[in-house]
Amino acid sequence: MRRLMYEARAQLASPVRNPRMATVIGRLLGLAFLVCFGTGLYSHFLQQPLPWMTFPTRPAGLYQVTQGTHIVAGIACFPLLLAKLYVVFPQLFQYPPVTSFANFLERASIALFVGASLVEITIGLLNTYQWYPFPFPFKQVHFALAFVIIGSLAVHIGVKLPLISANWRAAPVPAPEERHPVDTGNVETPTDAHAENEPSAAEGLPRTRGLTGRVLSYIDRTPELPARTSRRGFLTTVALSVAAVVGLTAGQTFAPLDGVNLFGPRKKGVGQQGVPVNRTSAQAKVSTTALAADWVLTLAVGGTERSFSRAELVALPQTDVELPIACVEGWSQMASWRGVRLRDLVDLAGGSPDADLRLISLEQRGGFKQTEMGSEYVRDSLTLVALELNGETLDLEHGYPARMIAPGRPGVLQTKWLSRIEAIKA
Amino acid sequence: MRAARVLLIAVGVLGLAFGAYVLVDTVALKRLPGLALWIGGAIVLHDAVISPLVFGLGVLTRRAGHRVAGSIIVTVQAAIVLGSLMTLIVLPAIVAQDLGPKNPSILPLDYALNLGLFWLALAVASVLVSLWFYVRTRRANQRPSRIQS
Repeated sequence: MRRLMYEARAQLASPVRNPRMATVIGRLLGLAFLVCFGTGLYSHFLQQPLPWMTFPTRPAGLYQVTQGTHIVAGIACFPLLLAKLYVVFPQLFQYPPVTSFANFLERASIALFVGASLVEITIGLLNTYQWYPFPFPFKQVHFALAFVIIGSLAVHIGVKLPLISANWRAAPVPAPEERHPVDTGNVETPTDAHAENEPSAAEGLPRTRGLTGRVLSYIDRTPELPARTSRRGFLTTVALSVAAVVGLTAGQTFAPLDGVNLFGPRKKGVGQQGVPVNRTSAQAKVSTTALAADWVLTLAVGGTERSFSRAELVALPQTDVELPIACVEGWSQMASWRGVRLRDLVDLAGGSPDADLRLISLEQRGGFKQTEMGSEYVRDSLTLVALELNGETLDLEHGYPARMIAPGRPGVLQTKWLSRIEAIKA
Repeated sequence: MRAARVLLIAVGVLGLAFGAYVLVDTVALKRLPGLALWIGGAIVLHDAVISPLVFGLGVLTRRAGHRVAGSIIVTVQAAIVLGSLMTLIVLPAIVAQDLGPKNPSILPLDYALNLGLFWLALAVASVLVSLWFYVRTRRANQRPSRIQS
């Protein structure tokens, strides 16, 4: 068994697999994880705020940026996490597998860290495709695993801190004369704190016979690549991979990359009136109620309730705003909206602009048929009860007869098919 | 250093505990075995399938290319890794598209075609880069002496 472990580690030894590379890739991955965690928490609290929370309403595209970044950083985690696992893979074959109880806990936490991270980014990716082949709820698990991952990350950094700080900076570069122009020299820098534990392929352990022996000696005879070529090639591959997975998908939210959006789950301009759709009128079962002639928007914000028909809303002073629809799944779309300023409407109905509002949709079921809006959004001059989109009457799929549009909020809170607006008693 | 390590580990354990609490608090207990299976499955899939494949790829490309410069082997390896990674990410989109998205604005692109074009572009690019390395290596080797590389 011991020999098998040594064999495995010797076979897997590579100029790329050292603590310095683990530190280089690890800090990028750690950064990506922290960015995902921060932007994810922001998105979570926007949707489920704690009672004391208020949020900035400017810049109006704030959520577009934070959530776009969340998805971009999440996609970048695929190459970074796989690269990190590639670098540290020989650690899997430590011998003896467990040296102490603390060592057992550390290895168990690494296993959980790796497994949870792989699942987290995978279900996140699948969520952007709106495909749910897993046997658990997305939102709750994605949220809970985020804490498991960040917790494991802190433990991992705590355990490895001496190694990380020893490898934070590159080891001194060999002098120029040691380098060959075509890099045939195998320049290995003596940096490795673990070096004495790492068996090298050159040790030449005796080979067993049989199939395993043949396979191993076949592998043994494989030529090694020059160390510098390997390292540079590895880093270039990681950099190109991150650039490719990010660059070819981020166009769904960052307009300059729209032209190379080959693999994004959404495409700018694709959807009714040039805006992508998430929940349809059929899913929300509002097709009849939203098109009913007697539809009114009722405001219960002052002493008495007041109802407005669509014609009455259209007759009120109209405001034009440019605001993005930005979805939790990471896509966003700038659009022109026209409608009645929410604060004017609240004013007209005898309400105070300092009250939080409850927005109720015609939707019969679904998590967002009823949402709450903090007073900071109610007061904002960009917040509209929108009646038109991109110069046309709002499409049924975009929330006809009237929908909410506010700066800096996730799409799920831009309530479509509005039916009733209530003040929440403080 | 010691204080920082203790603090990091303590914060980490708290984070883990909070994550576990959120999990049992918000997810039905009967769903948890499924989650455990996915986490375990992810580890097995990586350690027992992806890693050996990558290792095998490394051995095969190095043996197939034992007569060419290391930089060319690395170029070919990089192209295969890039293509495989993109396939890994885009394949679920193709499957989800095939199953039928809930509305036409979800997954509106021709992902299979784009993936094919991506592989094609990788092939062309790796040939060009390899040629460039080949020419450069020959020149560099011929300049100081006439002895073969």
